[in-house]
Amino acid sequence: MKICPNCAHRNREGYFYCEECGRLLTGKDTRAIKVETKDLPKEMSGIFGTAHFEKDATIVLMIRDANQPVTFKPDRRVVFGRLDPTALNKPDVDLTPYGALENGVSRIHCAIYRDDMTLTIIDLGSANGTHLNGQRLIPEVPRVLRDGDEIQFGKLVAHLYFKTSGT
Amino acid sequence: MPIDFDPYGELGVASNASVEDIKTAYRRAARRLHPDVNRNSAGAAAQFQDITAAHELLTDDARRREYDAQAKREADQPRLGFTFRVTTSKRTVVLLGETQVVYMLAEIFPDARANEHKSQNEARLNLTLVLDRSNSMQGIRLEKVKVAAHQIIDQMREDDVLSIVSFNDRAEVVIEATTVRERSTLKARVSMMSAFGGTEIGQGLKLGLEQNRKFLAPRLVNHIIMLTDGHTYGDQDFTLGLAREAADAGISISAMGLGQEWNDKFMDSIASATGGSTSYINSAGGVVRFLNDRVRGLANTFAERVTLSVAPDPDIKLESAFRLLPDPQPLDAESHIIPLGGLQYNRSIVTLLQFELPVDLKLGFRTIARLSVTGDIFPNDFQRFKSINDMSLEVTDTQVEDDPPQVILDALGKLTLYRMQEQAQAALERGDVGEATRRLENLATRLFELGHGELGQQAQAEAQQVAFTGDFTDKGRKRLVHQTRYLLSDSGPEENE
Repeated sequence: MKICPNCAHRNREGYFYCEECGRLLTGKDTRAIKVETKDLPKEMSGIFGTAHFEKDATIVLMIRDANQPVTFKPDRRVVFGRLDPTALNKPDVDLTPYGALENGVSRIHCAIYRDDMTLTIIDLGSANGTHLNGQRLIPEVPRVLRDGDEIQFGKLVAHLYFKTSGT
Repeated sequence: MPIDFDPYGELGVASNASVEDIKTAYRRAARRLHPDVNRNSAGAAAQFQDITAAHELLTDDARRREYDAQAKREADQPRLGFTFRVTTSKRTVVLLGETQVVYMLAEIFPDARANEHKSQNEARLNLTLVLDRSNSMQGIRLEKVKVAAHQIIDQMREDDVLSIVSFNDRAEVVIEATTVRERSTLKARVSMMSAFGGTEIGQGLKLGLEQNRKFLAPRLVNHIIMLTDGHTYGDQDFTLGLAREAADAGISISAMGLGQEWNDKFMDSIASATGGSTSYINSAGGVVRFLNDRVRGLANTFAERVTLSVAPDPDIKLESAFRLLPDPQPLDAESHIIPLGGLQYNRSIVTLLQFELPVDLKLGFRTIARLSVTGDIFPNDFQRFKSINDMSLEVTDTQVEDDPPQVILDALGKLTLYRMQEQAQAALERGDVGEATRRLENLATRLFELGHGELGQQAQAEAQQVAFTGDFTDKGRKRLVHQTRYLLSDSGPEENE
């Protein structure tokens, strides 16, 4: 699969130009990553939350200094960024109300993908980077998300929780 | 009778191959092409027949000796042909557990020696013009068509054959198929055409086909040019059936649409079915040039009835085919036997094919598709020439840095723009105004970035139009379709206002 560095569209492997925005796909091939929770060593399961994302679960994003959490059911792809009315590409989740501009969030910052039972996060070449649990993501390389992970968009810090419908 | 079938080439064996080698080569090819394993490919079916014929000939001792003797005699007088070169976007693919796409650029060009033979071997034409004279053609449009027809009559040679049919609700013969001798009489008949009534393309094409068949011969470039400015209603299937009939008979059709009201998708399907092309003539002023250019191109034919036959391996799918040169035209990938029209001197025919590889690949070298091109070569007394390319690639489990060939990148960069507007149209047909708008906005951005400002503005205007009204403007849509298509040809965007 080739993920467009410009618009995060997922193109089939073998494409050279993004079928969504028409730009050259220069990124390296990124394989779809699937991690089963049962494959993880036991001692780690206490430190990290589960990577298992239930079918009808929702994501709760607690952004630091915000009064209300952001809650949403992820589609195949959710793009985070800062809405710029003059730009053609618009994020799915606009972080402007949470101080995106002051905290250096890019217009198209990062995206969360959903693959069956896992979520992955990909930095889309943002100016100030995306950090997962304090570690800076390499642009366009997906990482699996777990319940309770800390995500930092530029300087904007948030915590991510999985909420299953039963709880 | 010169031989036009190369059994060794069909099986890919040397001319001194043993019977054992020949049988092995046949079995290997049959495993990919046999109708029992490759059910849905007409290309595979046709190629299976050819390898079977080759196998039968070469395993029959007497026939093989006879063939070898004749081939040896003819080897003294080498004949002209064309080169068929295929470039793949990748030589290796990685095992990924997901579907992948591979492109092939298929180029066909005349032998370098072809030009020496050009002057004494100019192609003779059997040309039929099918001209719309419905009410909407009244005035400047019909006048320009007449001027163009007059120029064509002047331009044709004495032993070319011309017929002209005009149509509104009914069709009638303006010039009965004839050699172009009494030019002034022919011109006078053209001048008497007048415009009234509706548009029924089917009737016009039916009569045009009848006229063209009168002189139909493999020694000629048999071609119909159809010019209309309106929509035809209710006879699309009938007309498309006629186009297929024409293709089977070796007649190609150019479709020319004048103004904004004609049905371009329908005309595309007619042209593509026969190896012809569709032209969008913005205003009456362009008629003369478009018609003249087309006729000049026909007279410059080196090989006629050039046909690409694609036999993908049973687990591979041919997803799309597009002719980039000489006249950019989407092709019908469903059929696998794809007419490409004529090959001109000093020009090439370039086609881009897109294949999808399955999820479950196995490591190692494997075949993808067998491509073959046939064409009747004019300077060779119209002898059929065939060239075969067996395409394969390697499946590995480690990433190999494999830069795609520049020719494929260049072609795809432009074709992507055409595909973007195509997808916007597809979204709108599904009723998804949001997606159509988004795709048009993306196209506009991309066009601006590439320096096609005017076309970018057009895309942006259409994006707004779609967002507000839920539909394209007729003119804007046609311009996007055809101008993104023209970007693919050497000459760049074609303006004819």
